[in-house]
Amino acid sequence: MSNVPENTVYSGPTPQTLNQRTTLTQLRQKYRNSKPITMVTAYDYPSAVHIDMAAIDICLVGDSGAMVVHGHDTTLPITVDEMLVHCRAVARGAKNPMLVGDLPFGSYESSSNQAVDTAVRILKEGGMDAIKLEGGSPSRIVAAKAIVEAGIAVMGHVGLTPQAISVLGGFRPQGRNISSAVKVVETALALQEAGCFSVVLECVPPPVAAAATAALQIPTIGIGAGPFCSGQVLVYHDLLGMLQHPHHAKVTPKFCKQYARIGDVINKALLEYKEEVTNGSFPDARHSPYKISEADAEGFSNELQKLGFDEAASAAAEAVQKLNATK
Amino acid sequence: MHSIRFLTKHSSSTSLLRHIRLMSNVPENTVYSGPTPQTPNQRTTLTQLRQKHRNSKPITMVTAYDYPSAVHIDMAAIDICLVGDSGAMVVHGHDTTLPITVDEMLVHCRAVARGAKNPLLVGDLPFGSYESSSNQAVDTAVRILKEGGMDAIKLEGGSPSRIVAAKAIVEAGIAVMGHVGLTPQAISVLGGFRPQGRNISSAIKVVETALALQEAGCFSVVLECVPPPVAAAATSALQIPTIGIGAGPFCSGQVLVYHDLLGMLQHPHHAKVTPKFCKQYARIGDVINKALLEYKEEVTNGSFPDARHSPYKISEADAEGFSNELQKLGFDEAASAAAEAVQKLNATK
Repeated sequence: MSNVPENTVYSGPTPQTLNQRTTLTQLRQKYRNSKPITMVTAYDYPSAVHIDMAAIDICLVGDSGAMVVHGHDTTLPITVDEMLVHCRAVARGAKNPMLVGDLPFGSYESSSNQAVDTAVRILKEGGMDAIKLEGGSPSRIVAAKAIVEAGIAVMGHVGLTPQAISVLGGFRPQGRNISSAVKVVETALALQEAGCFSVVLECVPPPVAAAATAALQIPTIGIGAGPFCSGQVLVYHDLLGMLQHPHHAKVTPKFCKQYARIGDVINKALLEYKEEVTNGSFPDARHSPYKISEADAEGFSNELQKLGFDEAASAAAEAVQKLNATK
Repeated sequence: MHSIRFLTKHSSSTSLLRHIRLMSNVPENTVYSGPTPQTPNQRTTLTQLRQKHRNSKPITMVTAYDYPSAVHIDMAAIDICLVGDSGAMVVHGHDTTLPITVDEMLVHCRAVARGAKNPLLVGDLPFGSYESSSNQAVDTAVRILKEGGMDAIKLEGGSPSRIVAAKAIVEAGIAVMGHVGLTPQAISVLGGFRPQGRNISSAIKVVETALALQEAGCFSVVLECVPPPVAAAATSALQIPTIGIGAGPFCSGQVLVYHDLLGMLQHPHHAKVTPKFCKQYARIGDVINKALLEYKEEVTNGSFPDARHSPYKISEADAEGFSNELQKLGFDEAASAAAEAVQKLNATK
């Protein structure tokens, strides 16, 4: 966990239980020293391990999984139970980054009670260190405050909030006129007031992100918000170029730099596997490691004959010969 | 978090299963007049697999657990896509395949069904969901098809009760793929992930259980971690295809776990436990690590995001109005920051 009892309560972590997980305090220090904070999303064990190995600061189990893992067109369909499965898998894999879990659409908007209950589950059952929720309406601010009061660290999220595409009219960047831009800054401040430890700024013009970042005393984490934020976040699959199908390539977000083209590598590897299976070159001797002794192989052949499986008996004997030939 | 996607042309259903998808076994000439040109059914059918097997063409199978992997397998035109309980290990990070539940499997199945339109889809029955009784087995198999959108199921083992269960599932109208040799759900009695068929009696047992499964109505059988001569014998004795993994080159087809064949995890610890029989066709883990380190580097030194990756604009007039408004509200620093940002952006044009 990120927040194990430290010097303030116990005598401190013993060498055997070295706690290396990024804490809020460490993030605060990075922010104070103007060191950019890095964040990447993860949805399963392997991605969590990779993010851990890269020493990324924060690992976000995002509801973006609804789109990149589950193949939906929006983030709306993913449920709390599905999010918890992702959270647990990530928690198993990432031991160093701070773990933040998204509250999915429909799990926290009705009332502060509902919001606190869901946030509790994300930590209790999901193994996360903190939660993220979207939006800055008055009821949302109240909910954020209630969650903080329940003892759960909250990361806010303003600008384009994908769970609200119904009212936004799609995945549309925000803050592009004066009133919208002021609103971004004001809601970020309100979330800070409610006790948030940071705020994600999504898809707003860079000057707006700069203003919000300057106005706040907590870090801003940007995505599609320009270079003036306290940190950056990207979706795992997007930054890795996971899907290289022409259709998908068309809809990769403009603000996301592809640091690799994993999709191409995967396609090539799968085609090679298919080729080698089809032409019989896989598996070769090196990848057929399990042995039966020659004596037992012969006994096996004889036994098969006794049972009436002549063809099978021949096949076994032939196999032994072929394997000996390739040694 | 999001990425802008307008994914599939088969969209717009709000139900759990996106029902405009292509089942493997749609009514064909035998019932209706056949698929119309507008709805070409491209999904691999049992009949096509049978033909491949008869023509001695190797069958390819790969596991998938989510939408992107399903899309990749679809694009590579792999014959069969297996939603394996191996996901418990490679996706969820457990040490065995035992912990994954039916509900978790169904989530994986649905995601894969959304992504792979051409391969035949097979879903594993997870540990604990089918061993008590044939009733339980049929119920779980039904869920995998009904709620998971799969075309067929796979179950492990060849004990008498297992054969009976397989038969009951086939009688319920659900195609069954068998699985003998090393059956990972049985590591408790096997004493670990231990290859099977390495002495005479064990080898005979592999062949006999495969035959019993064929008798029960299975359309194919997976042979896992047995010596190649044993796999050769089983393949020869059966009239249905065998799909091998760690079973040598004499099977009717091969299967590998997605993450293993791609070299997804390159941590020294994981590299130690990568199966010996699995060829790594790529080292995706290395590529991922490199990409993440580069991202971290660029964020840390401020070079990401550059102008090209900061596309959203506010007009100069509005930016000025915004600055003024912030000043009026008492946010002087914020107002300056906004104005500076505009200048910096103009400078880099």
